[in-house]
Amino acid sequence: MASVPKLDVGVDYKEKYGFFFPEDYVFKAKRGLNEEIVKEISYMKGEPEWMTKFRLRSLEIFRKKPMPTWGADLSVIDFENIFYYLKPAEKQSASWDELPADIKATYDRLGVPEAERKFLAGVSAQYESEVVYHSLQEKLTKQGVIFLDTDSALREHPDLFKEYFGTVIPPADNKFSALNSAVWSGGSFIYVPKGVKVEIPLQAYFRINAENMGQFERTLIICDEDSYVHYIEGCTAPIYTTDSLHSAVVEIIVKKNARCRYTTIQNWSTNVYNLVTKRAMAYADATMEWVDGNLGSQITMKYPSVYLMEPGAKGDVLSIAFAGKGQHQDAGGKMIHVAPHTTSTITSKSISKAGGRTSYRGHVKIYPGANNCKSFVKCDALLLDDDSRSDTYPYNDVDAENVTLGHEATVSKVSDEQLFYLMSRGIPRAEAETMIVNGFIEPFTKELPLEYAVELNRLIQLEMEGSVG
Amino acid sequence: MTLTAQTLDQLQGEPGWLRERRESAFATFEKLPNPSKTDEEWRRTDVSRLDVGRFSKLEHLDGHKLILPSALPPGVILEPLREAAKNHPDLVQSRLFSLVHADRDRFAALHAAFFTGGTFLYVPDGVVIDQPIIGQHFSHEAGTSVLPHTLIVAGKNSRFDYLDEYIAEHDDEAGYRTGSTEIFVDEGATVGYVAVQKWGRDVWHFSDQRAELRKDATLRLFNVTLGGKFSKTRVEASLAGEGANAELKAIYFASGEQFFDFHTLQDHRVGNTRSDLLFKGALSGTARTVYAGLIRIEKHAARSDAYQANRNLVLSDHAKATSIPMLEIDNNDVRCTHGATVGPVDPEHLFYLRSRGIPEATAKRMLIQGFFGDVLDRIPFEHARKLVESELERRIG
Repeated sequence: MASVPKLDVGVDYKEKYGFFFPEDYVFKAKRGLNEEIVKEISYMKGEPEWMTKFRLRSLEIFRKKPMPTWGADLSVIDFENIFYYLKPAEKQSASWDELPADIKATYDRLGVPEAERKFLAGVSAQYESEVVYHSLQEKLTKQGVIFLDTDSALREHPDLFKEYFGTVIPPADNKFSALNSAVWSGGSFIYVPKGVKVEIPLQAYFRINAENMGQFERTLIICDEDSYVHYIEGCTAPIYTTDSLHSAVVEIIVKKNARCRYTTIQNWSTNVYNLVTKRAMAYADATMEWVDGNLGSQITMKYPSVYLMEPGAKGDVLSIAFAGKGQHQDAGGKMIHVAPHTTSTITSKSISKAGGRTSYRGHVKIYPGANNCKSFVKCDALLLDDDSRSDTYPYNDVDAENVTLGHEATVSKVSDEQLFYLMSRGIPRAEAETMIVNGFIEPFTKELPLEYAVELNRLIQLEMEGSVG
Repeated sequence: MTLTAQTLDQLQGEPGWLRERRESAFATFEKLPNPSKTDEEWRRTDVSRLDVGRFSKLEHLDGHKLILPSALPPGVILEPLREAAKNHPDLVQSRLFSLVHADRDRFAALHAAFFTGGTFLYVPDGVVIDQPIIGQHFSHEAGTSVLPHTLIVAGKNSRFDYLDEYIAEHDDEAGYRTGSTEIFVDEGATVGYVAVQKWGRDVWHFSDQRAELRKDATLRLFNVTLGGKFSKTRVEASLAGEGANAELKAIYFASGEQFFDFHTLQDHRVGNTRSDLLFKGALSGTARTVYAGLIRIEKHAARSDAYQANRNLVLSDHAKATSIPMLEIDNNDVRCTHGATVGPVDPEHLFYLRSRGIPEATAKRMLIQGFFGDVLDRIPFEHARKLVESELERRIG
């Protein structure tokens, strides 16, 4: 069994991920949000003028946009009580040993360096606002693959950066994309050149350490024609009594015949508001796959989407959500069929227990002229006790001809018949229940790299012990 | 001329309480704004071009036509609703507009203020009526409002079927039409209710149907929507007693430039309740339909069983169907399934029939008939089934 603890559903979260180190930062911006803070962030980063202007314009948009009135209750977020920028280290390192001791200790405890040695082609580690560690296998560098933190990419590849940045998710898309656009820091920038297939996954690990921290990473991935990349992100934070905010923007461009897979194992502590905008544009015959696991956070609102821009494009969202006590996972996916002959599938699996609430919220839109499209949405929910809640809100709009669209959802508890069957074979009840839950999320675990899948199964098992029935 | 409080003066001879309710509903109507596109329920449903003031003449000051079984069992009350308000305030006053709320939106308020035709049916405990009761609501002229309201009270263990038919004398008349229904199904009662909406192709139609089911009550509610350039129907069942069972079915056929909107609610308020919803529609021309339905299983409604499906057959290049089947489940010991599909006639099915020498048009018609077939079988009683079959035949052909 792999010893890389990447996933957890809450049991020993405090011991494994809930630790924190005293703050010792190079720079910490004041609490709150105003033009000065935004200018300061931009100045600290030595950004070109267009970016400073972009940030200030986004701040204006953020102020004008109302809070969303649907989904989870966001009224408790106090934007003035958040630290928008924390710089943890003077410079980025390419070796774990060069990092400040407490930051290194953090990642050691999270097992990131070990994972890197074992099965990753590149690693990026973000601590608060900045990426502190970065590496990429030399072979990939030679092939022209760019894997950088987003700030460095702006400095080192300004033209490529400017061509794509903000084109998939403009600041005005929603209130939180505007916020991210104003105060973004860190995140990953990936460019995979034509024909290059990155066979081993790249990983980014996001860590919040400080209280009332706002993390606003910005990720931009460009898969050029015929390329392939698999990007994995993981995230954790300590447990504080007050809330932190994580609001990322992820933009992906998948060009002709390329394929991109983006795997998220979101395991924020249950005091984090996780409000993320993720969107990909898929061009001719391209494939975009979101594998989105939401286990942590207090509230998550996240709907990875694919805009199917040219014929033959394919979008796939595989989403799993686990909501325990006090958690609300409002997750799902969006498939926007702009071009004809495009296909999409959304598979959602959600589990609620101990009063947790999971909501599937999705949108399939087929634009006029996007004829001969196919889309299928399947949502299954498992409720482990009667304090928990599950909702399904699928929006399906078809404005084109010869389109086949299907949606199916079921909500159930662990079925007595399945339990009876397993128990009649001599399997104890608790074990049988765990087997059923593991079976329920299998479509998800089988898409994960083996090490993650094994770990996820083990953690579900931990979580399930003595928890149902 | 517009609809004003004075319009109410035409409605003579009503008891004071009803007049007061109408005035209060009218005040609500004047107060409420037109629904805006930011309102989720109206995002895809455009009423900005509707000016209700244009339709200020009320038709049907006295009512409707009823086709009665030759003899009604003793105790059954079947009267025009306005008469019943006068004759049986004890039965009507507490129930009228208690399920369909006048303040829900502007159109519900307008209906509550000015409803004219419509029926009151009261079936006492234990009474069984074998023949269906049929209410026919005709519109006679263009530019008018026809606003019938049906109130049905089913006593304990009673059993009967009721059909509301909304019929246009001239298919091309413009007007404002409603057809709302409240159904109280008491313990152990079994009610079949069918509404067939065949208004003209140029009318605006708003309908609110809501039923409340007590212990072991069964409701089989069936909607057929065919008419109107704009038709919005809400179908809601509140399962308020254990063992209650609601079957909510509908078929719709939207052609030309018709726009149909359906909002449904299966509200499982207590446990051991069952609901089964199936809305099937075909679209041709540049027609548009919106289906949005919600299954809500409340906290203590354990062992509930709910099913919801919306199937759309899109027959033309420019027709559009939107389907939003939603679930809100607050209890784990339930069985809940829903599904939605939007798609064209299956080319393989078409190919199969054509390979057997059936011309394309005929094959297509057969497939449409087949599509509606399983739900037609669920129409609760023979008379309505025949009526709907012949209506469909006419439109598909």
